[in-house]
Amino acid sequence: MSKITHISRRKLLSTAAQTTTVVALGAPMYLSPFRAGAATGLAADMIGGPTGFDGAERYQYGADTPEGRAIEAIRSLKSAGKAPKRIVLGLSDGSVGQITKPFPAGAPSIKELWEKETGITLDIIGVPSGQEFTKVMQDVTTKGGAFDIYAVEWNRLGDLAETGGIVNLDEYVSAHKPEWDNPERGYVGGEKGVSLLNNYRGSTYGVSLDGDFQTWNHRTDLFNDPTEQKSFADKHGYALKSPTTWKEHDEIAAFFHRPDDGLFGCTDLRNQGWGYTNWYQRYVSMAAPNQFLFDDDGSPLINSEQGILATEEYIKSLAHHSPDAISWGWPEQYGNFANGGAAMTCAFSNLPKFLDNAGNSGSKVTGKIGSHLPPGRVHEEGLVRRTVLWLNLTASVSSQSKHPEACYLLLQWLGSSRIYSWMTANPGGYFDPFQLSNFSDPLVRETYHGYHMDIVRESVRRAVPTINYPGATAFHNALDKNLVASLTGSISASEAMANTEREWKRIARRTGEDKLVEAIKANKDAWPDIIDPA
Amino acid sequence: MTTHTSTIETVDKKAGGREANLGLWLTLPTQLLVVFIAVFPILMQLYISLTDWSPLDGIQWWRAWELWNTFANYTDLAADSQFWGAVGRTFLIMAICVPVEFLLGLGLAILFVDNFPGRKILYSVLLVPMMVVPAVAGYMFYMLFQSGGPVNDLLSIFVGYPVRIAWLSDPTLALFAIIVADIWQWTPLMFLVLLAGLVGVPEDQQQAATLLGASWTRRFFTIVLPRMKAIIIIALAIRVIENFKIFDTLFIMTNGGPGVATETISVYIYKITQQDLIWGYVAAIALAILIVLSLVSVFAIKLIASKEQAS
Amino acid sequence: MQRTLLFETFRFSIIFLIIALTLVPTLWMVSMAFKPIQEWSASGGDLTWWPKNPTLDNFRFIFGESSSELIVALERGAGRPILASLLSATFGTLIAMVAGTTAAYGLSRFNSGRNLPLALIQLRLFPPMAVMIPVMIMWAFLGLTDTWWGLALIYGIVTLPFAFWLMKTFFDDMPREIEDAALVEGCSRFRVFLKITLPMMRPALASSALFVFILNWSDYLIALLLTTRDWVTIPVYMASLSSSMTGQLYGAKAALGLIAAIPPVVMGIAIQKHLVRGLTFGALKE
Repeated sequence: MSKITHISRRKLLSTAAQTTTVVALGAPMYLSPFRAGAATGLAADMIGGPTGFDGAERYQYGADTPEGRAIEAIRSLKSAGKAPKRIVLGLSDGSVGQITKPFPAGAPSIKELWEKETGITLDIIGVPSGQEFTKVMQDVTTKGGAFDIYAVEWNRLGDLAETGGIVNLDEYVSAHKPEWDNPERGYVGGEKGVSLLNNYRGSTYGVSLDGDFQTWNHRTDLFNDPTEQKSFADKHGYALKSPTTWKEHDEIAAFFHRPDDGLFGCTDLRNQGWGYTNWYQRYVSMAAPNQFLFDDDGSPLINSEQGILATEEYIKSLAHHSPDAISWGWPEQYGNFANGGAAMTCAFSNLPKFLDNAGNSGSKVTGKIGSHLPPGRVHEEGLVRRTVLWLNLTASVSSQSKHPEACYLLLQWLGSSRIYSWMTANPGGYFDPFQLSNFSDPLVRETYHGYHMDIVRESVRRAVPTINYPGATAFHNALDKNLVASLTGSISASEAMANTEREWKRIARRTGEDKLVEAIKANKDAWPDIIDPA
Repeated sequence: MTTHTSTIETVDKKAGGREANLGLWLTLPTQLLVVFIAVFPILMQLYISLTDWSPLDGIQWWRAWELWNTFANYTDLAADSQFWGAVGRTFLIMAICVPVEFLLGLGLAILFVDNFPGRKILYSVLLVPMMVVPAVAGYMFYMLFQSGGPVNDLLSIFVGYPVRIAWLSDPTLALFAIIVADIWQWTPLMFLVLLAGLVGVPEDQQQAATLLGASWTRRFFTIVLPRMKAIIIIALAIRVIENFKIFDTLFIMTNGGPGVATETISVYIYKITQQDLIWGYVAAIALAILIVLSLVSVFAIKLIASKEQAS
Repeated sequence: MQRTLLFETFRFSIIFLIIALTLVPTLWMVSMAFKPIQEWSASGGDLTWWPKNPTLDNFRFIFGESSSELIVALERGAGRPILASLLSATFGTLIAMVAGTTAAYGLSRFNSGRNLPLALIQLRLFPPMAVMIPVMIMWAFLGLTDTWWGLALIYGIVTLPFAFWLMKTFFDDMPREIEDAALVEGCSRFRVFLKITLPMMRPALASSALFVFILNWSDYLIALLLTTRDWVTIPVYMASLSSSMTGQLYGAKAALGLIAAIPPVVMGIAIQKHLVRGLTFGALKE
């Protein structure tokens, strides 16, 4: 099957190419008047941007935009002889496609556009997903100089900044004005959002290239099925709809959990390295506006009634998961959901982009996915629904780069609202929308679906950051390890919290408490205070 | 060894110093490589193991003295229950894998020692797992041990009802799965080495014993096994050494999980090197391991030497 | 062992049982390698033993050609990693064999380097993970990071103990009379080593080299920490084979795994007749 389509598509392409060539060769005189226009193809007052497809003007920019300023600045660097010939960008394998594959039909790729506008070669080195930080630390500690720009998980920004391996970008930010906090186009949450994603201890160290705000999905075919609705209402006394509280969530998941029919209630991850992000959601909603992880003086708050309760719930929820939940990572989660194997899940916001996708002939859930806000808890103040920012590739400039300013300008260009909207709409990679302009962009909405985009935007407003202080990974590992141990039944929920607290205190001692307290405060500033009516 | 030494002495006397020179030249490349790989790492680890140095401190390793902590890493190590858990698990895995691999290998070798139709083909087929790259084996075993995977399918056929065991999500069963993968991959090597040993046992003594009416079991235990002592030690030594460092397949199958249920020494060090980045502490662990292993190796060398003396 | 019908039945049933068990993971790999994407999923509960629609797509895919809308073609095909693995494992084996063989001969015949047995046992026993930090720093200093020759050097060093120990037991075991006779005829010691001893040792050299090669070829950890982009090896590259649309690309991984099994298998067949004799490790003494 696939072979046949393969051949025919290929044939089609080559025929098309031949036709174009023939036309171009056969009628050069006739076509030439249009050439000039086609060559720039830009709308009035625009100095750059993609051309060649409907709506391209949305991604074009004038001189007074972040993208325009970046290009102009590169050009003046160039004329001063201070620009590099090429910039080496280390990037997770799965994201490379968004920069190198043209999208939509007729458009250039982002790489081509950048190279055309600046004359600087963009050299992208794919790094297997999961090995990003290993490779970056290798480069930092051995002074390997293999990359000009690193893209690593957002949580590692603190660690990397402390190593001195990445450049403080404050100077360039004030010189070139990226307008990340632009209230119409910029980051959700304005300045707060910028400081959450790009800053560490008050300075800019990274440029976000991702929007990994964990988002909830459910199966509309199941939720809208009248028989299911009736039998659910009969059983629980309220209508079947996407859950607003954790209690409802757990009941709905249990209701749909039919492992013998190949259907699991919910498949939000429970494995090592990922599972604890789902524990977060249950934990931080324990108080209004938030149940924090650390006190302002740096002492852990998790070994508490709230911590134990959240952990107990978290363990209990295993009952409506796959029996393999503890060993499943996102690849298994996506594979299972594509196969119609779960009623609900919580995943990166790109899940509908990949699985509710007409091109994905392997997906059995195309047209059957819905999104909903994270479940929450009712407090006196109202309903606290929280999700979590986790992973999120953020790009930083290597201290070993000989041209940090040019690298920053590339990131400003890439990470600003016009180019980023165009890039995130491309289904060829992992980068997800996170700016206001992304959520309203028609092309992005087409790829990610309208039903999903509004939910993602609202989820972003309710997302708490994971740990990004120095020692972030050590903190997370300690928590993670104890949570998994409690999931397997080796230790109880209260032991898990007590162990984690003890280990966190030890890590804090090693990291240096003053450094930590400052980072905790900066992290807290980015926590949401939105409370929904109960 | 003794007989050889005497030969060497006579040769040495005959040819004088030039012979000894040749010996030095012949061993020189290896000596240089050993010095190359040992000196800097040991000195560096010794130095940073006395400090709190981590790449997160933003200073190069030679400035680690600014974070001097004397023996804090070593006292931490003594109290690090996760490390000792990993040590225990490493030895547990070894204590199961090596004997099972040995017995299976020996049993197979006995079945293959004399000729039978199809021996050559079957023998080659048995060696296949050795040729599979462990990283690939890791991914395959991960799939095999899924709850809806082939292992459970096979079990279902035998027990007659659908089996849905979540192997990799249960601490004990995950350890079991790791052990199965190791046995699968390395029994062939045991088999190969032991078969070589069995083939080498001279026939004449066995035949004499047969004529005297000794049973097969008796011949095996009194004639064959003692003759194979040296090769058995070598076969076991290879597996003990390699199994001690178990990482690849395991890391891909379980990442040391669930929790720390399959975390071995190598996996633990990998995690604190790559994730926690506490490199001063890693150095302390490395040196502690080096010291213990040195004692073990001295003992092993003595053992081998005494065996050679005996034979 | 008496050749009774009962015994033969027993022998064949045990052998076939063990072979059946041995082949399950191997056949699984072969079967996965020929399955189309739709039959990969690890989690769909839709796993079959045999591909329903066998295809070569996985092989095409790892060489950079995607035949499905589902997965974006790879930026880097597997060609380069295969080359990296071949070069580093081959030259690593060469380093180990040359240094190990000469040193073993030096110790066995001239009693030089008496420190080596202990030093090399320690070297092999030591978990590479524990020493990777200084090694990474050294390799970077020497400009060896992310090169196949840097990888070959470390491979040569970590497998040197095996080459040394294997060859030493062979040399210890070899009758001296032939060498002595040649010496009496006036050949130099080194000439005897090259022209007489080494050719006699061919089976031993071949099987030791195979063993060392397999160890180098299998390595995942060292290559993970010493290569970045240009010279990643097959096991490290394997992690690139996943996609957001379908999860882990097990089919592609299996296809690459099949290809990765070719060099050891070819070597194994080439030296098959030496294999059993060669791996006696010279431990069998009269």
